[in-house]
Amino acid sequence: MYLKLAWRNIWRNKRRTLITVSSIMFAVVCALFIESLERGGHNQMINNMTNFHTGHIQIQDERYEEEPSLDNSIEYDSSFSERILEIDDRIYNVVPRIESFMLAAGEEQSRPAMVLGIDPEAENRLNELKNRIVAGRFFEPGDGSVVMGEGLASRLNVAVGDSLVLLGQGRFGMTASGIYEISGLFRHPLREFNNQIVYLSIPDAQWLFSMEGMITNILITPDQLKYNDPIAENLERALSDENLNILTWNEMIPELIDAIEFDRMSTRVFMGILYVVIGFGIFGTILMMTLERLREFGILLSVGMYRWKLAVIVFIETFFISILGIISGFALGLVVLSYFYFNPIQLTGDMLEMLEEMGFEPTLPMAIAPDIFMWQGSVIFVMSIIICLYPTVKIATMDILEASRS
Amino acid sequence: MSESDVIDYEIENNEAKMGIISTKNLSKIYNPDTIPVHALRNVNLDFEVGEFTTVKGPSGSGKTTLLNMIGGLDKPTEGSVEIDGIQITGMKESKLIDFRLQNIGFVFQSYNLIPVFTAYENVSFIMLLQKRPKKEMEMRAKELLEAVGLKDKYHSRPKELSGGEQQRVAVARALASQPKFILADEPTANLDTKSAMNLLDMMEKMNREENVTFIFSSHDQRVIDRAKRVITMVDGAIESDETR
Ligand SMILES: Nc1ncnc2c1ncn2[C@@H]1O[C@H](COP(=O)(O)OP(=O)(O)OP(=O)(O)O)[C@@H](O)[C@H]1O
Ligand SMILES: [Mg+2]
Repeated sequence: MYLKLAWRNIWRNKRRTLITVSSIMFAVVCALFIESLERGGHNQMINNMTNFHTGHIQIQDERYEEEPSLDNSIEYDSSFSERILEIDDRIYNVVPRIESFMLAAGEEQSRPAMVLGIDPEAENRLNELKNRIVAGRFFEPGDGSVVMGEGLASRLNVAVGDSLVLLGQGRFGMTASGIYEISGLFRHPLREFNNQIVYLSIPDAQWLFSMEGMITNILITPDQLKYNDPIAENLERALSDENLNILTWNEMIPELIDAIEFDRMSTRVFMGILYVVIGFGIFGTILMMTLERLREFGILLSVGMYRWKLAVIVFIETFFISILGIISGFALGLVVLSYFYFNPIQLTGDMLEMLEEMGFEPTLPMAIAPDIFMWQGSVIFVMSIIICLYPTVKIATMDILEASRS
Repeated sequence: MSESDVIDYEIENNEAKMGIISTKNLSKIYNPDTIPVHALRNVNLDFEVGEFTTVKGPSGSGKTTLLNMIGGLDKPTEGSVEIDGIQITGMKESKLIDFRLQNIGFVFQSYNLIPVFTAYENVSFIMLLQKRPKKEMEMRAKELLEAVGLKDKYHSRPKELSGGEQQRVAVARALASQPKFILADEPTANLDTKSAMNLLDMMEKMNREENVTFIFSSHDQRVIDRAKRVITMVDGAIESDETR
């Protein structure tokens, strides 16, 4: 009968219950949405960084981190790749690279460029580079042609079939210069990459930089992200006496991680404000409910109900409403998030320009992770429990006659 | 408590008749620090089982305050209330709740019932609080509702009942716990004449046939006319106390 009392009270004022449930639901969906969007954006940034720039794990010469110069290269041939693959069978991909900065020049203009000597197959497995070709085709290894970012090409005013001159320094201070045919252009949504990168094959790069048989770094991708650190440890152990340095992605891009951390902090603050606003909304309805029912509480107490029993019943009521709100918020949130996960938000117009300026991509991916649900769910849960304690406290402290006077 | 108080208490206890409420020098001052209101002034009254009594008096004379004191819903500023020789003034709240549950039934002026319960549930709930067996609970609730003339309204919610019917459910509920005293604060205030008469007939019958004690507060002449004892209050003090 006590439960009957609670249950019927929940549905007594259907509108108020629905308002409370839906405001909690709204809070949950909002929080999930914001958190997922943020997480998705951060994952995308990290993916861009790891896929195009650093890899998840990198093997370098031990001096390279201090002094990223061609002088500090490592010897490499395809047997080394095979050896690495044998060290840990959770390694998905091994990508050798030569990285250097040079001056790239067309007929009229020149610009600094990041020149990457790559193995097209391995590189493509890493970042699907070949799908990003928007003009021309990808080069064949050693055919003396390059693929470059569309943005860089337009700045240099060059097109597919034109020649590109690369000028810089090779290993041990040798002059490095070469002239290459542009076989294709790629487009990357991040300006940083689009406006800077020139790819050529490893043999061509080795020739250009006078570093036969050498490369600067090897990028390693794990089967699954969670294997990253164990793989790094295994590599560390297996390659311990070869004067190599093994770095994981978070060691390579500390600035990005700091920036993400900062971003998360500011989102937390924003969410805190959102929670407070919604919390007050919910508190308002609970307060109204409590005041309206003071007389009823008074009657129950005067006919012989213990305060604690009444308090527990009313707590069950409000607790049930919160749970209902959170569960329906999860359900709706899952639908909303899945929708945007499969149909990411596409930005257009001014907003797009602004975000591209800041180095974002035009699509906003969503991340769906159980811990987002867990975390946001528990914050809102705790918040509503605190709010639901109000009627309980009121019952515990109220004067039996209080309501009959008002 | 000094030693002599304890002895006094015990003597009183032994002398106390069962089924008696007595107030000793009962005084209540509201807002003693700001604008003091003397709601009760030195009230000494005895009520016995089987009474059918009305406390009358002008508005603000202290009728409600007196009933609340007797029912243990409010605490006096001075003096005390004893029921069957047991002092309820200053009793611990949880004990007082149990005590009230066993000894006193309440009928308030209006909005007496639990809105989400049916008439039947409102009446049986109080027996649930008393932890009575389910069988007995069901039988008694039905009997009582029949006795107050609501045989066909068992499953109606308060908002589906008229004011008079609601008051009758409240009386049935007050009777359900088999209390020694039923305190009813202006039970007819919101009722039309016919409903008021019905309610009074019913209560009178219960008093006559089952010796149920009723103490009303009212300035309703219809109630005053029926009472066997009329206590008149003015400005917090007892002006007269007549038994007819
Ligand atoms: N909680 C309170 N705080 C302050 N004053 C109060 C309080 N309750 C009652 N009073 C005052 O005490 C006096 C007696 O009030 P009480 O309610 O007992 O009168 P009453 O005889 O029941 O009146 P009515 O016939 O209008 O119901 C009044 O002057 C009232 O204003
Ligand atoms: Mg009154």
